[in-house]
Amino acid sequence: MRELFFLPDIPPAAQLPWYALLLLGAAIAGEAIERWLRLPRLLGWIAVGAALGPHALGALGERSLAALAPLLDLAIGMVLFELGQRVDLTWVWRNPSVLGASVAESALSFGLMYAVLAALEAPPLVAAAAAAIGMATAPAVVLAVTRDLRSQGQVTERALLLTALNSAYAVIAVGVLLAWLAREYHGDWRAIVLHPLYLIFGSLALAAVFARATLGLLALLGRRREAQFLCVLALVMIAVWAAASLKLSVLLALLGYGAATRLLDRRRLFVSLEFGRLGTILLILLFALTAASLDWRLLAAGVFAGAVLLAARLAGKIVGVLAFARLSGLPVRKASLLALALAPMSGIAIVLTHETARLYPQFGASLAAVMLSAIALMELLGPLLAHFALVRAGEAAAEAPA
Amino acid sequence: MTAERLSFAASAPLTMGVELELQLVHRRDCDLTRAASDLLALVARARHPGEIKPEITESMIEVSTGVHTRHRELLAELEAIRAALVAAAERLNVGVCGGGAHPFQRWSERRITDNPRMRHVSQLYGYLAKQFTVFGQHVHLGCPDGDTALWLLHAFARYLPQLIALSAASPFYQGVDTAFDSSRLNAVFAFPLSGRAPFVLRWDAFNDYFARMRRAGIVESMKDFYWDIRPKPEYGTIEIRVCDTPLTVARAAALAAYAQALARWLLAERPDPVTEDVYLAYTYNRFQACRFGLDGEIVDPLTGERRAIREDVLATIERLAPHARELGSRDALDEIAAVLREGNDARWMRARHADSGSLADLVWQQVERLRGVKRPPW
Repeated sequence: MRELFFLPDIPPAAQLPWYALLLLGAAIAGEAIERWLRLPRLLGWIAVGAALGPHALGALGERSLAALAPLLDLAIGMVLFELGQRVDLTWVWRNPSVLGASVAESALSFGLMYAVLAALEAPPLVAAAAAAIGMATAPAVVLAVTRDLRSQGQVTERALLLTALNSAYAVIAVGVLLAWLAREYHGDWRAIVLHPLYLIFGSLALAAVFARATLGLLALLGRRREAQFLCVLALVMIAVWAAASLKLSVLLALLGYGAATRLLDRRRLFVSLEFGRLGTILLILLFALTAASLDWRLLAAGVFAGAVLLAARLAGKIVGVLAFARLSGLPVRKASLLALALAPMSGIAIVLTHETARLYPQFGASLAAVMLSAIALMELLGPLLAHFALVRAGEAAAEAPA
Repeated sequence: MTAERLSFAASAPLTMGVELELQLVHRRDCDLTRAASDLLALVARARHPGEIKPEITESMIEVSTGVHTRHRELLAELEAIRAALVAAAERLNVGVCGGGAHPFQRWSERRITDNPRMRHVSQLYGYLAKQFTVFGQHVHLGCPDGDTALWLLHAFARYLPQLIALSAASPFYQGVDTAFDSSRLNAVFAFPLSGRAPFVLRWDAFNDYFARMRRAGIVESMKDFYWDIRPKPEYGTIEIRVCDTPLTVARAAALAAYAQALARWLLAERPDPVTEDVYLAYTYNRFQACRFGLDGEIVDPLTGERRAIREDVLATIERLAPHARELGSRDALDEIAAVLREGNDARWMRARHADSGSLADLVWQQVERLRGVKRPPW
């Protein structure tokens, strides 16, 4: 066999069939949904993921999910970076009422969700942690839907900005609350102060360092799309790895990284980022794998409480955005649509919920069930609402010829 | 048919008004963005002079002034409108800029504004309607009656290349340097009813022409003519439509005042005979102005002499000086003279692009130029 040394001993490329299965299924389901139901493709990707996942057909087992995990991390990193790039933090300075709307919708949806959870007799700190998790709008959904529709306009721009902001609030609030919980458990007061500070400032410092490095590199490369794309892809990978290794918040660090590259880019070195086909592949993986990891049987267990929780959350977002509609220069109709566009719930919420439940058993299986069924409900409802909102706002691009 | 005849509403001679079509751009990638309806809704809430209106696509907006006799007042109104518009745009995080065409937008991405007139235009002209995403300045000059209006319209033909070259601000189109100073006018020439008005000097005769065109089903209203200069009977004006929207409102006001002074001189001194001959070299001269700007060479239709547009403007400025003094628009002539020395907006745009190498950055500098901020040196 020596002359056949080039043949490998083990089956090569063991993971490839899984990727292929996912992508093929997602491509077919996505197009079918787009063509026949005229709904966002990502619903198809979610459906394929859910169907193949360990809780349904089981074609994707825990092991194959684990094999796909690194790409999932990259996908999350790219989504957060792109969202950061697409928001303009200086807007808040020119129109402070936009920040007002952001704070109001987050605070109100936090308050209302807290009330619902408290009524379900969750311990206060745990209820607060869950409500904080619920504040965030799903960055990937908002990004995928705006990209799919190629939408432009005030609802689109504000949905992106408010999503970035409420995701950041959620991470910070959860960080603080978890530190409180930690004190109840371990009795160490230093963790309360230092952990959130480390989380926030560490992540932002990481973001600043990476943004500077990126712009320095771009200044050398010039405005070449290909080279910039590869460069950013590589730096995002490193940033995700660095944030995770340093136990910082990947969300805050990558969002901040994207936003800072835009903020500091005075010479407009950054040619507008088109993640194009690779971006789509990463989004497919993100949605399919998130759906695969959801245990849809929990949906039945907590569906009623989950629905009430979602209603409270949406009510908070609607009232908050409407309260600042006129001040921020948005007609009431568009403000209502903006609130709907903020409905999608974050895949990051799943991670946070599992993590909280694991770290603090008092979070309780029942509360986790309520949260997870709320997330599962929103998994399908969220993209629909965001899609509907942008289309009704008249911000979707005209049908592109095939 | 008498009911359909156009009556020319008399207006005070030598009054002027300006319309500017402006670009709405995204602050991140500087491409055109759909923002007109949101912006109009917000602007409508504040008090501002003049009018701000939608245009054919959602990425365009048109502002217009009231009627003025003095350059200084026209400029003040344009600045006030600009301030209101920029303030609203800032709150919506949108950039507003001048320039005759967006340097790199893709016309297929444009979306037609949702109203009956625009939908009709879009249906009739197909892709031309979207390609017509170009931005011009229109100058209205008041005339006491239709006959004067037609005479002035044809007398102006000889001087249009000057206005084209002075205002040219569309060197880049669809992402490339077109080599033209004003590429915008090429988009206008594609329309079947573009070009020049028929050579008639009496309003009655013009009305006959219009009635025949309408009976033949070629036009429905004066709006269907896309001429370089056209009469606007309901305002009692002639409307000069060849200028690119300049990058500053000061330039726009100066161009209007220059046209006003030209009209005063032409009407007062009647320097050249106005016959069909003024159109002898018309399209050639217009091409020279679009292509080469102030360096273009035009042929005098009467004498057959060739001369650079720059020199032609210089000679005209000298003749206009006493009239400008009377009209109180010496500042405007000074600005026009400065254009001759420093170059038109197209030249500025090429220089900025050569500096930064980025069309997006160029658009951003146009936004800052209209807003009137100086760029920090870093």
